[in-house]
Amino acid sequence: MTTESNILFQNYFLEERGYDELLKDNMSINPNWEMLLENLTKLGSEELITRQNQINWLMDENGVTYNVYNDPKGLHRTWDLNIVPFIVHQKEWQTIEKGIIQRAEILNLVLKDIYGKQELIKNGIIPHEVVFAHRGFLRQCDQIQYNTTKNLLIHSADLSRGPDGRMWVVNDRTQAPSGMGYALENRAALHRVSPDILKGINVKQSTGFFQDFSQMLINSAPSNVVNPNIVILTPGPHNETYFEHAYMSSFLGYPLVQGNDLVVRNGKVWMKSLKELKQVDVILRRVDDVYMDPLELREDSYLGIAGLLDVIRQQNVTVVNPIGSGVLENSGLIPFMNNISNYFLNEDLILPQIASWWCGQTKERNHVLENLSNFVVKRIDRSNRESIYFCEFLNKEQLNNLKRNILANPYNFVAQEKISFSTAPDFVNGKLEPRKVACRTFAIAKKDTYSVMPGGLVRVAAERENLRVSNQRGGISKDFWVITDQQERMIQNYSWDTTPQNKTISDINDLPSHTAENLFWSGRYLGRALITSRLLRMSLNRMSALQYSNNKTEAESLTYIFEAITTITHTLPGFVGKGKEAVLANPLKELNSLIFDETRMGSLAQTLMSFTNSYYSLRNLWSKDMWRVFDGIKKLWNKYDKTQEYSVSTLIKLQDNIITRLIAFMGLIEESILVDQGLLLYFIGLQTEQASLTIAKCRALIVVKHDEQLEYEILEALLTSHESLNIYRYSYRSYLSIENVINLLVLDKKYARSLTYQLARIQKDINQLPHSQTNGELSECQSVIAEANTIIQGLNTGMLIALNEDNTLRENLEDVLSKLSDLLHKTSLSISDTYFNHSYQQTQLVNQNFPLQ
Amino acid sequence: MVYQLSHTTSYKYQSGVTFCHNIATIKPKNLLGQEVLDYELEISPKPTEISERTDFFGNTVTRFSIQKFHKELKVTAKSKVLRNSNLQPDIHTSDFGKSITLNEALLEMQSMNSEILDVKQYVLESILIAKISPEIKAYASVSFQPDRPIFEAAFELMQRIFNDFEFNTDVTNVATPIQDVMEQKKGVCQDFAQIGIACLRSVGLPARYVSGYIETLPPPGKEKLIGTDASHAWFSMYIPKFGWVDFDPTNNQIPKNQHIIVAHGRDYYDVPPLKGVIYSSGKNKMKVEVDIRPAV
Repeated sequence: MTTESNILFQNYFLEERGYDELLKDNMSINPNWEMLLENLTKLGSEELITRQNQINWLMDENGVTYNVYNDPKGLHRTWDLNIVPFIVHQKEWQTIEKGIIQRAEILNLVLKDIYGKQELIKNGIIPHEVVFAHRGFLRQCDQIQYNTTKNLLIHSADLSRGPDGRMWVVNDRTQAPSGMGYALENRAALHRVSPDILKGINVKQSTGFFQDFSQMLINSAPSNVVNPNIVILTPGPHNETYFEHAYMSSFLGYPLVQGNDLVVRNGKVWMKSLKELKQVDVILRRVDDVYMDPLELREDSYLGIAGLLDVIRQQNVTVVNPIGSGVLENSGLIPFMNNISNYFLNEDLILPQIASWWCGQTKERNHVLENLSNFVVKRIDRSNRESIYFCEFLNKEQLNNLKRNILANPYNFVAQEKISFSTAPDFVNGKLEPRKVACRTFAIAKKDTYSVMPGGLVRVAAERENLRVSNQRGGISKDFWVITDQQERMIQNYSWDTTPQNKTISDINDLPSHTAENLFWSGRYLGRALITSRLLRMSLNRMSALQYSNNKTEAESLTYIFEAITTITHTLPGFVGKGKEAVLANPLKELNSLIFDETRMGSLAQTLMSFTNSYYSLRNLWSKDMWRVFDGIKKLWNKYDKTQEYSVSTLIKLQDNIITRLIAFMGLIEESILVDQGLLLYFIGLQTEQASLTIAKCRALIVVKHDEQLEYEILEALLTSHESLNIYRYSYRSYLSIENVINLLVLDKKYARSLTYQLARIQKDINQLPHSQTNGELSECQSVIAEANTIIQGLNTGMLIALNEDNTLRENLEDVLSKLSDLLHKTSLSISDTYFNHSYQQTQLVNQNFPLQ
Repeated sequence: MVYQLSHTTSYKYQSGVTFCHNIATIKPKNLLGQEVLDYELEISPKPTEISERTDFFGNTVTRFSIQKFHKELKVTAKSKVLRNSNLQPDIHTSDFGKSITLNEALLEMQSMNSEILDVKQYVLESILIAKISPEIKAYASVSFQPDRPIFEAAFELMQRIFNDFEFNTDVTNVATPIQDVMEQKKGVCQDFAQIGIACLRSVGLPARYVSGYIETLPPPGKEKLIGTDASHAWFSMYIPKFGWVDFDPTNNQIPKNQHIIVAHGRDYYDVPPLKGVIYSSGKNKMKVEVDIRPAV
């Protein structure tokens, strides 16, 4: 195939070029890429654009996101996968794999040595400061013994192809490496959208690697635990790779927990579950070293577990990777790696590294300072972009500053040769474009060696000439193909059943309390969003009708409805408080605010936001369909400019759309999550909210007695907002009367939207929760909800509609509803206290506020 | 000299604590010239679990947790300590130790012998003594000259801190950065110790933090020493081929029998007497009482 005639290659090369993965120096095609290129050419530019869009859509639909801190685009930025994969042939990969295994083993031995005998330092293989001046060297972890075969259980490296055509190691990731889940999802998405680009190409699959991963976690358990409890510890939904934490949790089948789900007692780690504390044997952590134990490490961390390190010392729990392994993320080790390799293994490094000079040595330092602008300078213990100096771009003053910093603490710095890494084709705007790439590889401890994922995660520079590749800045990824000449088994679904299922945490008793809490609140917020939305829609519809009539009663009833909205949504002053005349004069403004103002407690926007927060914390539980619908709500919402004032008809349309999607979503929840996975908590939350708001609506609308005409209007409004007008007509076939409305909305035993039904349902669900059985007594929340049910079962319509002495109020109704409202509130509090247990906050004994960094 | 020592820390919690994990670094050290004859740690309420271990710096740390609701925590360390500083090598009688200059010392620090490797960490930055400012370095340079003996220079540094800084319990807390202390020239023993350490490290010498106590009874006819009602702190400098020498800048003296050593660290952060994580929703009030008297 020639490249000149191929439209995909238009302008592939600019004047300057380095090593390209696809095109050799003589402009011929690297044979490893030929088949792929043929497949791409067959599809053609236009079809490729379509496929790329499908991939983007799929990634978006599946909620594959990468959060970027302080990003103006907000959290949850979509993960980009380019349709053109990155290819390495098995023949080359074999060497890379050997190199990765060797490197993982060396770092494993370094880790053991640093926290053990420190022979490397004593024998002068590595300088003292490379370890002792590194922030990741945690003295608290000194001399800890592990019963795992390796100290380093997961190793990840960033590789790039150097000008000599070999893969070079740029970085090591050893604390809590990210990327495996993204790699898995990339493969799945590409297979799904474009199986035909694989035609005739044999790609190695990572199924075996993930089996090894799962087995490694099981084997890591403290000795003599047969069926270990394994959890995945996440810093929470705001973390940049939260998607992956949730993804791995669903994929591996282990619960996703946060620091406050775990607690140390009696020398062991326990997970707070709904029923009781459950012992945890293995923690796969995605939290960095220093945040893992606020007792011995960073005091101000809320992401870890106080007292954890001591449990590790007693070998009662295993943390993967061990705490303290961050000391290996250390560019100060690079210049000494080959000596280390020879010291431990008596062999040279297989994978080359970037030439590096550690400034702690006089000769090296002088060399660096003399030629500073030719180097890339890093701090040994920081690999974030802010701590990397690309000296060629620094002005004189900046260079002098850097020199001063180096001279102040030379041992903190390493200078590296600046290198132009290889480019690979990326499909951009209908054409192929060369972009810089970086590959992240993954190795897992397996018996006395390491198992390496065939391929890994490839990230691509966001712009054509970009020097550095990093996810923090956004960016694009690629599927990484290791191709072979043998037939490979195609695997569509990444699940396996060859190992016995290590299912340990499987029923409602074992639900992490944090998950339970989020499910409960998801239910409450969803219920509130739906009811608020319906209430607003009802009032908007009435406003709309009133535009074409000047019926006095209708106008009067609308005022009552507006007032009720303020009361029900707790959004004072609104239509009720000070300045209400002005608000009532222009109700549309207030309604816009009630819908769109995120900062206003009780607004629809605020409720949806609260729901979104609880929802993200649960994403390991949600199905793809749920994502799709949820995403639809988000997109719909984002179409509106929150600073504008929208018309009544636009707002009605928005409410219609929101309501339909909320209902679809609620339907999906019920069929996608098992009761044992915590659906029960969701139901209790949802019913509690619905019951509370039913009460609030009745109190706001039908406690005050109005004249007949006005009362009719208000009853109709109440039924409409409750979506019960049709049921009413069907059940009573009559004129609206207060007796029948109360019968239907409050007392009906069979109608799912009646208060009696809702309270009975809450009681039934609460009784299914795990209760500590003490002499058959009811727990607090059981007895409170039982009291509410007893009260409502003793009611009758006549008594409820009775008026007070001056015939203005239905006092009995108000008394009963207010009592029930209190009991529901108490039930909710009691559930929180009993099951969620976050009423006491973790704090420091002495609030020291050390200037940590 | 045998001392009877009692150190009580109590916390009153406004709304109670359901659960706590704590670490105490309060057991006096056994070392040449100091022997712990008796030691007892009383904790109320009684801890559910308690264990002792030696930390990275060779200090004894006690970890305990209380797993029931309590409104007050009281930790009392009682010990009987025999102090005989005559057993320690005396710098005044060591001609080599007294005369080694800064240049010579820095050269010795390049050695790869295990003792030097061990003390090298005390030259590096530590959590509370990081980013040592040019002002501190300049302050140190007044005393530390390349060809001047480091002992003489450190002794002078101690005197200068004693004279230039005002003992004042109202201006600093445990988190006050050394730069601020340097600027205000006010603080407590812990600040002075850390200023001394920062100065020594700024010229490349190993220096460590010493936490402990100082005898409270004034010897007849002498002025009462500061640091009476709390634990005390000072600094220590490593003199190559001699060893560690302590300096108390708060009292302008080289510690002898009146100083009792509890722990060594890079700075205060490594050796707080009591720290912990509590589960509580309210505020707390702390009280510390230290009592040292000759044993009878």
